[in-house]
Amino acid sequence: MFKYNVYGSCEVNAQLALQLVVNGLSAGMLYLLVVFGIDLILRSTKILNFAHGQFYMIGAYMCFLTYGVLHMNYFLSLVIACLAVATLGALSYLGIFNFVQKRFAGVGSVSFRLLVSATSSVGLMMILQQGIILLFGTTTHGLPSAFPQTITWDGVQLRAERLVVILLGVMFCFGLYWLLFRTRMGKAARSVSFDAEASSLQGINASVVYLLSFIIGCALAGFAGAVIAPIFVVTPVMGHSIIFLALMVLVAGGIGSYKGAILGAVLVGLFTSFGYQFLGGVSHMLLFVSVMLLLIFRPGGILGEALD
Amino acid sequence: MALLEIRSLGKYFGGLAAVRDLDLDVFNLEILGLIGPNGAGKTTLFNLVTGFHSPSSGTVIFKGEDITSLRPDQIARKGIGRTFQASTLFMQRTVFDNVFFGSHKHYRQPEWKALLHTPAVRKEESAIKQRVMEILEFMGLASLKDKLAGNLPHGYQRALGLCIALATEPELLLLDEPVTGMNPTETSALLELIRKIRDRGITIVVVEHNMGVVMSLCDRLAVLNYGQKIAEGAPEEVKENKQVIEAYLGKGSSR
Amino acid sequence: MKLLTEGKSKLALLGSVAVILIVFPLLVAGKPFTINICILAGISIILGMTFSMLFSAGLISLGCAAFYAIGAYASALLTMKLGLNFWLALPLAIIITGAVALAIGSMLVRNPGFSFVVLTLLFALVVAEVVGQLGFFGGWGGIIDIPRPDPIGPIEFSSNISYYYLLLFLLALVVTVFYALYTSRVGRAWRAIKLSASLAQTLGINAYRYRLLAFVVASSAAGLAGSFYAHYYQTVIPSTFSGWVSIYIQLYAVLGGLEFYILGPAVGAVIMTFAPEFLRVIKEFEPLIMGALLLAIILFFPGGILGTLQKLPRFSLASISARMKRIAKGVFTRDNLTK
Repeated sequence: MFKYNVYGSCEVNAQLALQLVVNGLSAGMLYLLVVFGIDLILRSTKILNFAHGQFYMIGAYMCFLTYGVLHMNYFLSLVIACLAVATLGALSYLGIFNFVQKRFAGVGSVSFRLLVSATSSVGLMMILQQGIILLFGTTTHGLPSAFPQTITWDGVQLRAERLVVILLGVMFCFGLYWLLFRTRMGKAARSVSFDAEASSLQGINASVVYLLSFIIGCALAGFAGAVIAPIFVVTPVMGHSIIFLALMVLVAGGIGSYKGAILGAVLVGLFTSFGYQFLGGVSHMLLFVSVMLLLIFRPGGILGEALD
Repeated sequence: MALLEIRSLGKYFGGLAAVRDLDLDVFNLEILGLIGPNGAGKTTLFNLVTGFHSPSSGTVIFKGEDITSLRPDQIARKGIGRTFQASTLFMQRTVFDNVFFGSHKHYRQPEWKALLHTPAVRKEESAIKQRVMEILEFMGLASLKDKLAGNLPHGYQRALGLCIALATEPELLLLDEPVTGMNPTETSALLELIRKIRDRGITIVVVEHNMGVVMSLCDRLAVLNYGQKIAEGAPEEVKENKQVIEAYLGKGSSR
Repeated sequence: MKLLTEGKSKLALLGSVAVILIVFPLLVAGKPFTINICILAGISIILGMTFSMLFSAGLISLGCAAFYAIGAYASALLTMKLGLNFWLALPLAIIITGAVALAIGSMLVRNPGFSFVVLTLLFALVVAEVVGQLGFFGGWGGIIDIPRPDPIGPIEFSSNISYYYLLLFLLALVVTVFYALYTSRVGRAWRAIKLSASLAQTLGINAYRYRLLAFVVASSAAGLAGSFYAHYYQTVIPSTFSGWVSIYIQLYAVLGGLEFYILGPAVGAVIMTFAPEFLRVIKEFEPLIMGALLLAIILFFPGGILGTLQKLPRFSLASISARMKRIAKGVFTRDNLTK
């Protein structure tokens, strides 16, 4: 999450506003990546993955390892981070969730199965969390910025790295749209998430779809972590709170809707950016309260129908 | 005055009319059959009467009282009971428990006393348990009382659904396809029971597709198509009604 | 609610458990650390039962930590800012928690389902943020030097043991109230709602009202636990009530057995509290093993520990109570508990 050292200033001028917008959008893009990951997994496999923040963190650590310690090319390290997290995701799914889902298939209500898989994800979370601490220790690591340039536009100084994040986020949105709506695999994924049984009758192998969804979902989180690693710092606790923020964005935007997730992420990103500038720490609290109120009066979120 | 009066009832889902401008009376102690092709709005009508949907227009009046905007549990307490199309039961509980849960509205002792499990409360509960056994015996399920509802064969599950509805001691009972999936023996047994239920003073509205059942069981019929009532009257009359035949068999089939 | 056994043997089992619990601290009197763990377990049991009560009515709440926090902070503030003594602050804190639960619950309970899960989680996050942000609640540093309970008669609260018995009493209280509810028409209504809210409503059960009742009662119990916690640790800090706490609370019920509304969370809380202690020797690997343990329990004990045990025929009453006695003696005098 982006924390700023300057706050409380109440001057509103165009330059500050632009910077805040850029910061907000880049934060939003990051939330978007994480949210899509968790949403994809949730909708496809009906697993609420509480270990998602850890995959995010592992992506960051992979970036630290390849880009920070081994001084590889940044883009290469992004790819490696994604692959590493994807592999880990595959192992987690095959080793854990696959069995849990098979064990509990058709047993009890949907909410029971959700609870059980969520609980197993907590177990995974513990393992991953401590694994990282054992491997990398508890110190905070800083990384050199991948895009240290500053772009000056209309007299305003904008950090290139933030702009790159926005760019990546937008590219990602288009990429995901193409993947889910234009490819066979994507359509298969959507139909499986809708009705697994009917889909298997059409020859779509649900298990493969589940596995792929899980892998992609984790890879997204890892990617987000690797992207943010040079911008912020790499710590063992960075995964802890992102899951809550992701869930919040997810329900605020509306669970049934991809557009809602995008909208939610962007709004939350902007809110945190502007909020922290003008209100300081209280903005965090206000964010939670606003989302709560939103959900109370509009249970479907901004754009979605509630998933019950 | 009819037991149940439905006036100009309408229900729109989005732009689609599930029920449109429906007027219907249900008279005391009759067995009214509600028939019509699939999707005609019969179950929607049940949902509207029992409070699971709120109507877009119109009113529902039960024993002279407007119940249109009441919640399902309030309507249940007014004396309307129902069964569901699919076997809606407490699947993981025993047969006995299912009907026991069904007796909920009969508790007279105040709730706080119930928590203290006072002797009066315990007496009331055993009286209710006795009633549960009576209902089970009446329906012929007494020997199955400790079986899990989910493990019962289909026919018995439907019967259990009926028991649960009876446990609420309704004055008006809405049965949604009570004999679907039953073999002829089970069907005629259930029909006998439905007649006995009416003899005990309960008015019944039945949704059914099985024409044989409908003809032999019902005093009157009402026919729905596309959410509107297209015919009403004694079974023999309705059977000959041209519009009804068209609705079921398609246009051009009427003789 | 299902206990493992029925009838008079139930009482015998209960009696022996009660005796063990009462006598136990005297056996380990020289090891206050052990008592501390037991107290922690006791608090966790109450919190787990909170989750289970909501689950029994068909609600999955990830917000139990919020009311735990409210009870703790309310109790702390009542004693420190208003100078009330603990014995007055405790019931007041429970009432305050209940009032907040009523206010929040009346809105949340309208939409059971996934939104409820997230809303309760959000509420827990909100509460943690609020008490951290506002100076009135001590900010992120929290409130310290919360006074111990005033002595009642000769019993002082200068050592763990008094707290242990107090918690045991509170636990017994909560269990009694919960049990009374579960075996009454209220519990039956909850179970009906959980299994099929639509069917329950056709039977005259007002689903909203009963769910709200579950919410308020369960949250008040969490507040009770919070108040006790505040005066035991004498410190309350916001990080104790983070979002993850709620998630762990739900764990207790899942591990022990979701269908066992009282014993399930007890078993789960005991495991989750004592297991890390046994693993203390291998501190670095402890979370790894805990994680693996969690996964193992889920995979090999579907329906929780109690759920799976119940299906095995060899777990008849006689062998269980005998075995329990043996285990109790063995575990609590083993040396590695004292490290």
